[in-house]
Amino acid sequence: MKNINFRMKQKMNEVFSIEPNDLGVNILTNYFRKITSYLKTAPFIFAIPLAILVSLFLYIIFGRLLVRLVTILQYGY
Amino acid sequence: MATDLITSFVLVMRNFIFLIISPYKTMRKISLEKDYYQPVFIIGIIFVYFKFIYYLRDKVYPATLIYFLFVFNFLLTASFFYLLSKLFSQNKKEVIFSRFIITFSYSLFPTIIWFLSTSILFIFLPPPRTFSILGKGFSIFFVAYSLSLLIWKLILGYLAIRFSSKQNFFNILTMIIYYLIWFIPYSVFLYQLKLFRVPFI
Repeated sequence: MKNINFRMKQKMNEVFSIEPNDLGVNILTNYFRKITSYLKTAPFIFAIPLAILVSLFLYIIFGRLLVRLVTILQYGY
Repeated sequence: MATDLITSFVLVMRNFIFLIISPYKTMRKISLEKDYYQPVFIIGIIFVYFKFIYYLRDKVYPATLIYFLFVFNFLLTASFFYLLSKLFSQNKKEVIFSRFIITFSYSLFPTIIWFLSTSILFIFLPPPRTFSILGKGFSIFFVAYSLSLLIWKLILGYLAIRFSSKQNFFNILTMIIYYLIWFIPYSVFLYQLKLFRVPFI
């Protein structure tokens, strides 16, 4: 029982180690919390489709410039 | 000593996987960590990387010099955010430098993955990219891959500052803007000296 209490206390300390974010305006804070909740767990579920869409969009807008950018990036390591 | 090292290595691997699955909870746990072997391991992996790419690059500078410059940049970044957090914080005792080192070292994972994969791709698919369908397809894939790692990097970077400095969103945003004001010209300077093409941070 003591062990469980200790673990519980430790977990509570960990969870409340920082104050929750408050952006000053309620609507903004709510939106911020909604968006960040998707990024807190498994962000790649959103990041990968978003990155694919953005890169396709960039290709449509910039065309061959994107291919040149990749050539430069490949020398960037 | 050996047991401690193995434990730290296992913890680094475990945290690495959990930073993909649950970055928020994992970074929160990492920020309370007191095992200093873990950042040493991560910085050690980066040393191996710099030794590896030495054979691919133009060999203008020795790998060890580039590595020490990276360590300097890393410490400079951590110190900058630490000092700013001290300035912003009302309770100065809760801002601890070692927390910045541990969390910032874990936020280097996306950087390591991107640099390592780009250098391996350089061997198997050397540039320049062509304007053929395959060349364009690879370019779209590479940009998408880089962007998704960049998003992960931004999340981890933000969380590292958030849990180390314990500041709110606006203060963190201000700190990042202050950081970029000097870091972008500094990166251009390093690029011109042919030390780093893309800043390793």
